[in-house]
Amino acid sequence: MRGVGLQAAGLRRTFRPPGGPRLPVIFSWFRGWGAALRGRETSMTAGGRPKVLITGISGPMGRLLASRLASGAEVCGVDVQPGRGPAPEVRVHAVDLRKRKFEDVVRTERPDAVVHMGFVRHFERGERVRHDINVRGTKKLLDHCARYGVRKVVVNSSAAVYGAFSENPYAIDEDFPLSASRSYPEIRDQVEVDTLSSALIWKNQEIETVVLRPAHSLGAHSRSMMAGYLRLPRVPTVMGFDPMVQFIAEQDWIEALRLAVLEPLSGVFNVAGSGQVPLHTAIRAVGATAWPIPGPIFEAVCRRLFVLNFWHYPPGAIDYLRYPVCVSGKRFEEATGFAPKVSLREMFESARRRRK
Amino acid sequence: MTERSDEGALAAVREVAGALRPLWLRKLQDRIDAQVARVPARLNEYAFDDQGLSPDFIQRTALPIALMYEHYFRVRSVDIDRVPAGRVLLVANHAGQLPFDGLMLSMAMLLEAQPPRIARGMAEYWVSELPFVSVMAARGGALVGTPRNCTSMLQSEECVMVFPEGVRGMNKVYRDRYQLMDFGLGFMRLALETQTPIVPVSIVGSEDQQPGLANLSRLGRVFGMPAFPITATFPLLGPAGLWPLPVRYHIYFGEPLVFEGDPSEDDAHVQERVDVVKAAILSGFERGLAEREGVFR
Repeated sequence: MRGVGLQAAGLRRTFRPPGGPRLPVIFSWFRGWGAALRGRETSMTAGGRPKVLITGISGPMGRLLASRLASGAEVCGVDVQPGRGPAPEVRVHAVDLRKRKFEDVVRTERPDAVVHMGFVRHFERGERVRHDINVRGTKKLLDHCARYGVRKVVVNSSAAVYGAFSENPYAIDEDFPLSASRSYPEIRDQVEVDTLSSALIWKNQEIETVVLRPAHSLGAHSRSMMAGYLRLPRVPTVMGFDPMVQFIAEQDWIEALRLAVLEPLSGVFNVAGSGQVPLHTAIRAVGATAWPIPGPIFEAVCRRLFVLNFWHYPPGAIDYLRYPVCVSGKRFEEATGFAPKVSLREMFESARRRRK
Repeated sequence: MTERSDEGALAAVREVAGALRPLWLRKLQDRIDAQVARVPARLNEYAFDDQGLSPDFIQRTALPIALMYEHYFRVRSVDIDRVPAGRVLLVANHAGQLPFDGLMLSMAMLLEAQPPRIARGMAEYWVSELPFVSVMAARGGALVGTPRNCTSMLQSEECVMVFPEGVRGMNKVYRDRYQLMDFGLGFMRLALETQTPIVPVSIVGSEDQQPGLANLSRLGRVFGMPAFPITATFPLLGPAGLWPLPVRYHIYFGEPLVFEGDPSEDDAHVQERVDVVKAAILSGFERGLAEREGVFR
């Protein structure tokens, strides 16, 4: 928790793994290009531009990140669909992470850093497909990174991996167990991806690995479950429950990812956003109408609709409307100086304008 | 649109109802408003704190509890000025089948303490699984009673109230009144860890409010309840049978106790310090029982 704030180059820094011993890790080796990159961002001097490969680059968030990084790095990306690239100079390879062709891409592109955000986060194609794409895709990606000399891996996980439980503390820190699959087995792939990537921190210390667990993102492009939920015409809630829900604006989230790529950094980090409000307050603030349904009825209806594929929110997700999952972003803020810029009110106001 | 006019109508009804209130009631509400306005709290732009506390909610809902405080239990708080500013743990006895003692203690901190404080209760885990109750508890300042929550509350200089007897105390039988059940040790470890002064609080009155004849906790477990008290009126009259008798409450605040030591010491060593707190609460009972002229006065 402590000891991550050292910024001077060449300093030995320590950080605490989730539940593991304190280990010193020498970062000076990576610092070279990280610092050079930061320098270039301001001065645009010549030098070897680091190459960043983004998975899921055709998604709206991937495009945003690519254009944000483009000023200081050479960006390329992969996605299952070629889609619209963020800029003409960005190469987008249409490959499946699980397939041989993806390895070819890593081998030929030889990226310095990889940002992994190409996940399936919806249930439209079924749980098994989702699990396979996310878990096997991540495994392959991490293997390729180790083989082809990638120096930095940033994995975009989610605060949802902690799970929504009544006994959650109000500010969950990174050492808290990942229990989401206890009540929400449909997202165990997300937990496995997080665990796989966190293990890389210890398995391969030559790679700087950053696992980010951001709060619910909200914004024009965000496709997070919560953002979609708040766009519903009538927003179902669980009667008698009003948990605190934590939000991060998508601009802030992209900035957090950018910092994770550029800063000499390794470890697991929560990214808390601008704050938390009760669910019903958020629903009102975005101009929607809450529709409280008694819990047992909600669950039964949701289960049936989900099985019939009419409704893409699994019953396990209901617990996130009952119990809070709010994280403490202190470790990341101390390590990178990250500070969310968009206030809750600005975030909700722009969501309200988009609803109209 | 309809929603907005509904809200307008509701506000109008509320305003008329407010104007029809007798003067003494309005005065009590004014007192609540003034005290809540003085409460120090770190609120976000929607007037909630990070844990879900809402001073607005307290202001809107405190009146019935304040009425009980003033007119039903006629609470007398003694030496409340002993509660120091900054972080503090209020450690009190627990009794009376329903946690009115917690409500009255927090009301005392709100109405009588200078400056007013919001006593953050450490609720049992299952409280946050109950619909409606969980929301009201959170808005009123209660937290799930995990050690982590308690430490961070104390580190941000809040006033935390704990009832180390827990359910064991709340459902104690009548012959055990004014005796303390086993205390958990957690609160002492947290106090040592955060160097928090402990104010022992002896609540005289709650132990008589609903005399328990027996506690069939096994039967309670069948119904998913932590206890199943048998009293003169419960379960005879249904849930209403747990309503407290109009006893008078006397809340005695003891001298703040500051303990030093290693929070990870053996239970035996922590127990010694806990016994000091228990003794302080018991001496408060002694004083309170000697001073009161009867259960209802």
